[in-house]
Amino acid sequence: MRAFLQRRMAAWIRRRQGPDRLPITLQRRRLYIVPTRTGVAFGALLFMMLIAGLNYANSLALLVTFLLAGLALVAMHACHRNLLGLGVLELSSQDSFAGEQAALQLRLTNSTAQARLGIELEPEGHSSVTCTAPANDATLVTLHIATPRRGAVPIGRLRIMTTWPFGLFRAWTWLHVAHDLTVYPRPAGHRPLPLAAGSRSGTAPRESGEADEWATLRPFRDGDSPRQVAWKAYARGAPLLVKEYTASGGAERLFEFAALAGLDTEQRLSQLSRWIVKSAADGERFGLSLPRQLFDLDYGQAHRQRCLRALALFGTEAPAGE
Amino acid sequence: MNEPTARLRRATHWVIGAYVGGALLHLGQVPLWVIVMACCGGLWALAAAHGRARLPGRIFKLSLTVALTGTVLAMFHTLNGLNAGSALLVLMGAIKLLEGRSRRDRLIVVGVAFYLLIAACLGSQELVRSPLYLLQAWVCCTALLFAAHPEAPMPPLMAARFSARSLALALPLALLLFALFPRLSGSFWSLGNDSSAQTGLSDTMSPGSISELGNSVDPVFRVWFAGALPPPQERYWRGPVLHDFDGYTWTRSHGAFYQAETLHFLGPEYRYQIRLEPDSTPWWPALDTVQSATARGTSITPDRQLVAYRPVHDAVTYSAVSHTATESRDVLSRIARRFDADYPRQRNPRSQALAARLRAAAPDVPAFVNSVLNLFRDGHFEYTLTPPLLDLNSVDDFLFNTRRGFCGHFASAFAMLMRAGGVPARVVTGYQGGEWNPIGGYLLIRRSDAHAWVEVWEDGRGWVRVDPTAVVAPERLRRGILDLLPGAGSVPERLLHQFSWLQQGHQAWDALNAWWSTQVVAYNYGSQLRLLDRLGFGDPGWQQLGWLLAAAVSVWLLVVGWQFGRLAPASGPDRLARAYLRLCARLARTGALRLAHQGPLAYAASIAGPSQPAQQARELLSLYAHLRYGRVAPSAAQLREFERRVSRWRPPRRRVRGSPGK
Repeated sequence: MRAFLQRRMAAWIRRRQGPDRLPITLQRRRLYIVPTRTGVAFGALLFMMLIAGLNYANSLALLVTFLLAGLALVAMHACHRNLLGLGVLELSSQDSFAGEQAALQLRLTNSTAQARLGIELEPEGHSSVTCTAPANDATLVTLHIATPRRGAVPIGRLRIMTTWPFGLFRAWTWLHVAHDLTVYPRPAGHRPLPLAAGSRSGTAPRESGEADEWATLRPFRDGDSPRQVAWKAYARGAPLLVKEYTASGGAERLFEFAALAGLDTEQRLSQLSRWIVKSAADGERFGLSLPRQLFDLDYGQAHRQRCLRALALFGTEAPAGE
Repeated sequence: MNEPTARLRRATHWVIGAYVGGALLHLGQVPLWVIVMACCGGLWALAAAHGRARLPGRIFKLSLTVALTGTVLAMFHTLNGLNAGSALLVLMGAIKLLEGRSRRDRLIVVGVAFYLLIAACLGSQELVRSPLYLLQAWVCCTALLFAAHPEAPMPPLMAARFSARSLALALPLALLLFALFPRLSGSFWSLGNDSSAQTGLSDTMSPGSISELGNSVDPVFRVWFAGALPPPQERYWRGPVLHDFDGYTWTRSHGAFYQAETLHFLGPEYRYQIRLEPDSTPWWPALDTVQSATARGTSITPDRQLVAYRPVHDAVTYSAVSHTATESRDVLSRIARRFDADYPRQRNPRSQALAARLRAAAPDVPAFVNSVLNLFRDGHFEYTLTPPLLDLNSVDDFLFNTRRGFCGHFASAFAMLMRAGGVPARVVTGYQGGEWNPIGGYLLIRRSDAHAWVEVWEDGRGWVRVDPTAVVAPERLRRGILDLLPGAGSVPERLLHQFSWLQQGHQAWDALNAWWSTQVVAYNYGSQLRLLDRLGFGDPGWQQLGWLLAAAVSVWLLVVGWQFGRLAPASGPDRLARAYLRLCARLARTGALRLAHQGPLAYAASIAGPSQPAQQARELLSLYAHLRYGRVAPSAAQLREFERRVSRWRPPRRRVRGSPGK
């Protein structure tokens, strides 16, 4: 019954607010507020104080009671205002592997002269993160969402709430942002790495490092290793850039879906995922062959991501030629 | 120590502070050991928060709970009274403080601290304590803030300022609710009153008993007169009337044997209101002789005392009408004559003989009264607050031996002599005089103004007041006891009396206290109705009160909502953007349309032409870019200047040629 009501409520709110397109500023229409359990307990305490004050006809006790009642109402306004006008600038996520946690990042903006403390962000069904939005500033908040299955996982709705200042009221809003997390298959399997036909063989895998020649520079993205950052260029005033290395002496490998006989689809995808992760980490050139999809021999982060995404979305949608 | 631990510790500090503060407010109302236990609990919790001690186990806390509850029960014989309840709350709060460190535990302790504050208000409503209460409310709010959000990165100063601001916003609502929230006329339940109010006038008078009162300058009551004040020598405040005399002690007679005489009130009528401080006696003083009183739960006895049915332990306000002179042409009833002319024959034989001699020499009652007064005047009697002790034949001892005493001695001796001479007489105790407070416009009567005098029955005139003290020490009536006896009172009281500026300060403070006591502490349903009446509501009742309350609270909510909403950013374009858009619209009318992708600088570049308007438009657009995207936010003056320049801008006669951007 409770679950049914909650579903109905969620559907009603969804209908009422419509889909959200970032960036948005939280307006009155979409903010909800109710007393917390602490607030209800505080109300009961105020009632007891009122009864005591009335019974003893004690003016000072009544005055203090009314002062605290006023405080609760001020707290209600303050709680509401803590969310009112908060901006949600953008939402981004990094791809993750199944069984790990995906990092979901929200950029919040606070264009008022007062810091907003105790802002809680909670993707529905996941644990919340509390943050502070400093005055006249933007802040980046990272949420972690468990992703048990591969594929394109919609994040569902997101709750932004606060019980600031006195914990007597909870104000919240629901954010319905169409955003999918891309979850790669979990790397698994024990088959040895296959070689591409006609490639040089027998070369031991090498670690990527200073010794490699780097091929390209690309802008820094969250999650990049600081070791790969082009610090010298940064010191000269360039933006943060990341070096991508070629694997001049590495092996060339072709990973084929069809070649993995004896395994079911998910196991095959996991094995392919493991190979790609390993091969990319070693800086090798590799290709991927899926039914109706072929990724030619290449190297680098972008290639790795393309291949893994193809694995993640395998069978879930009509394959789009990359 | 990492940051979250430090924040949690800070939250714990505030919670402990709020609790200990709440307990300290009960200093003097609950036994000292309870406060000591509370402080120990606070210290223990503090040590535990810093890792210097471990919180006690469950069995220890359980046995402590039982033991402390038992102790309180044994001491107070109840858990229900105000003091017993406060003591229990303080102790249970200490145990809760040692309970644990969860968010919920901290919140409960803050709740206890809030309730301790209310209990302290119930215990004492003195003006001097109210800043303490306000401070404690502030500390509790800050503690609540920390308890609700222990992890928030919030410096204590900011939290304290925030809760102070919240309280300041809440204060108008508190005052509105205080003024308009309907009060009960009775009470839901009555708890045993275990407050130890100061004792007032007693219904017995032995030699020396009034001097205990005489040494205290504590206020007893304050009187506001509606018109002129009675002259100082007529300011007699009537208390218990004593009829029975056993030779040493005068007592109020038991049983209503009296028939009221028909009184004719003479002289001017005095209307006044009295605010009586908490007193444990049922005698409510009134100006002698009271004609009528509007005081709930009281009646006027046949001997013209204002007596409450039950002793009242709280401060009370009542109004009355009095005349200082009365007359009665009735004949004193036989019973009254028998009681009021009675005296123990075996005691005070010399006084009896003296009275018989004087009565025989006097032709009528007034002459007899005068001869006894002359005896007092010329008999080398001395007025003192430290008289020698008297033996059982107190009147004989006083008249013929010690000859030193104060009002009680003189009144007792005089009444005894009257009775021995066959004239009905009774002793009246009460207060005499009072200090005029020019700031508050009231008369303040202190305990040191306690007095005793005598009423003598004269046929055809009724009861006539005779004050033998006035004969011995006439100054006593005109001036205070401190003037008369420099040794009376404590050192600060005498200092106060000597320096007029000190006295003025003291009077101002007393006036403030009086205002607090009458306007705030005594505020009730009647005051609410009077307020409505003054606001122009005809026939005020609780309905009008309700409507007014709803309206006032709505206004407050609107103001606070506006106050908070003002801080939120407007959803539309701001002031600067509005001016900019206005400029763009006016430029567009001249033909220079801004394309959707053009920023202000690109737009300025697209406006061609050497004409002055075009030049000005370009300047304005680049000024907008500077104000909008500059390093420093524009000041209000800069905004105003920009708006003025935009509205002063005039389009050229010819169209400004705008070439579309690239």
